[in-house]
Amino acid sequence: MRKATSQRSRGKRLAAWLVAAGLLCGALGAGALWAMDWPVEAPKLAATFGTPAAGRVVTGVAIAAQNGLVRSIDDGELAFAFDEATTPSGLPSTLGSFAVVEHPNDMAAVYAHLLPGSVSDYLTKVKRGTILGSVGSSGWTEGQGLLLEIFDRRKGNWVNPLLLLPSLPDGYAPTIRSVALMGGEKSYALGEAKSVPQGTYEIAADITDATDAPWTAGPLAPYVIRLSVDGTELSREVFDVAFGKGGRLSLFSSSPRPLSELRTGDGRYLLAEHLFTRGRSIIEMSVEDVAGNRRDATWSVSIQ
Amino acid sequence: MEESGTKRLVISGIILAGIAYFLICAQPLPKELALIPVWARGLADAPTAPASTPALGDVHSFRLGDKFGYFSSSGNILFSAPVPYGLALASNSYALYDKDSTGFSVRTPTGSELFKASILGYPFFAAGRRFVMGPAQDSVAELDSSGHRAWTYEFPSIVTAFGASPSLAVFGLMDGNLVGLDRTGKEVMHFSSGGSNIPGIYGVAVSPDGKLVAAVAGLEKQRLVVLEKRYSAYRVTWHRWLDSDFRRPVAISFTSDGKRLMYEVPGGVGVFERDSRKDYTIAASTADRLGLSVNDWGILVLLSGSQDSRRLICAASPDRRLVDIPISASETFITIDGSSIYLGVDEDIVRLDLREE
Repeated sequence: MRKATSQRSRGKRLAAWLVAAGLLCGALGAGALWAMDWPVEAPKLAATFGTPAAGRVVTGVAIAAQNGLVRSIDDGELAFAFDEATTPSGLPSTLGSFAVVEHPNDMAAVYAHLLPGSVSDYLTKVKRGTILGSVGSSGWTEGQGLLLEIFDRRKGNWVNPLLLLPSLPDGYAPTIRSVALMGGEKSYALGEAKSVPQGTYEIAADITDATDAPWTAGPLAPYVIRLSVDGTELSREVFDVAFGKGGRLSLFSSSPRPLSELRTGDGRYLLAEHLFTRGRSIIEMSVEDVAGNRRDATWSVSIQ
Repeated sequence: MEESGTKRLVISGIILAGIAYFLICAQPLPKELALIPVWARGLADAPTAPASTPALGDVHSFRLGDKFGYFSSSGNILFSAPVPYGLALASNSYALYDKDSTGFSVRTPTGSELFKASILGYPFFAAGRRFVMGPAQDSVAELDSSGHRAWTYEFPSIVTAFGASPSLAVFGLMDGNLVGLDRTGKEVMHFSSGGSNIPGIYGVAVSPDGKLVAAVAGLEKQRLVVLEKRYSAYRVTWHRWLDSDFRRPVAISFTSDGKRLMYEVPGGVGVFERDSRKDYTIAASTADRLGLSVNDWGILVLLSGSQDSRRLICAASPDRRLVDIPISASETFITIDGSSIYLGVDEDIVRLDLREE
């Protein structure tokens, strides 16, 4: 009886240790998620992950900065330095002068649009904070600063850097500038159109997140967009990863969407296609940034 | 008597053997290869804009620092114009583009416009084909002969290296993959270079017939891998670990006859012979730019070195260097056409012919 009690208490102690160890591992793991530093001082976001920019969707973060040094966001090793206009084979660089650094956990970071001639191409091992170059505007870019992209080599995809970098002070929720039902050549802006003929429509949204950067590459993408019609969730897009397959780049890990199917020609997000039947439809949308600032909007539309 | 007859016989035998040796084994004295200057032209007096009159003979392109233009094999400089920002250059056409280019004109060496392309990114020409790199360095489009987008391919990571033949374009990616596309943009080759601690592609070359693809890949350790098309698939046919630790784009190229591959190695140029699978190094000063080719006699011609200490080297084999000339110039280029070598040195272009004399 005594032996059984002793075994029970030993089992409890073991369980407590396991829980404590689990919590510690979890805490360390969570810590590791934010183990990186920003590459420049006082960063101002000119594009977030998923921002629709000219000729592309940004798969990193663009940081506006007039001058200053670019530092390694973590320990690592310089894997590639490009500080010429073209490679020996004549390949041009639209990223301008750039460096690729291998960071822990198989994360490779691209530091692009650096000041030509400033790339520290003599480096091999780097420490967190090691100077990699200076901010610039080399290559195809909308403004002076830096593009930071992080590639997860294990999974073979781009990762939203805002998930790995320390949070920035941000008290502003993203803005839903407009939402429209698009069918054929007709478009009905929600909030303006009183009634809409029944039929199948694509729901397009013009959304942007707030920034105090002096320039932007395009309307800053939020982190999450949710869309529901009559209580049914039609789409939940989380701007977490981007990956290429079969010659097409797609966004989102949970419900991958090719970029070509995600945007309209004017940069709005195509969120879902839905058949609207006669009656009243309630369309609900919520958008959220990485800091957790959230904006909700609801429209009631009469379908004729 | 008998003794003198034997002696005569021996002497006759020796004489006959000597005659036979000269008839059968003797070789004519080999002619010496010489590098003969044919012409030299200064760019200072050349027209600064394309002239509409076509040049006589073959036309070659050049880029020297922030100047580019065309010249004929007979020594006529068609023009030497400044490069405002970017330039895509081939022997039959060129395109100047801006930093944030949304389109560009493709022109012939005489300046007439072939077409205008309205597409974002930077153009680059190779193997008679015209490509455009997208603004994020992760997509490439090919233009058709009228300047329209024939296809676009979006890569999973950024493009760090490129090589092309008329039938195959191969893109090396930061993630260590090689992606080969045919003329329609269809993926016909995919290779993941493994074995190194850090994946990556630092240089790519495609043989003129499109059957061989070579790449300098990975870090710790870096390796050269050669793939060959067998039936419809590309398979590794040869590879070697390299002593190099290049963390920048690497010069690598097949010779114009496709028989040899030349690639940068520390302290020289590595040569891989396609038929014999022989691999050797030609010692040369540290190179960051190489002109690579072979002339009709199988002689490798290369321009090695960097900045003010370059050398023009002609070699028949690793231990048989025929020509080794130091060149003091901040800007150089080299073009090889058969046995003619066109060498650009700052403000001058020189034609040198390899001849047997």
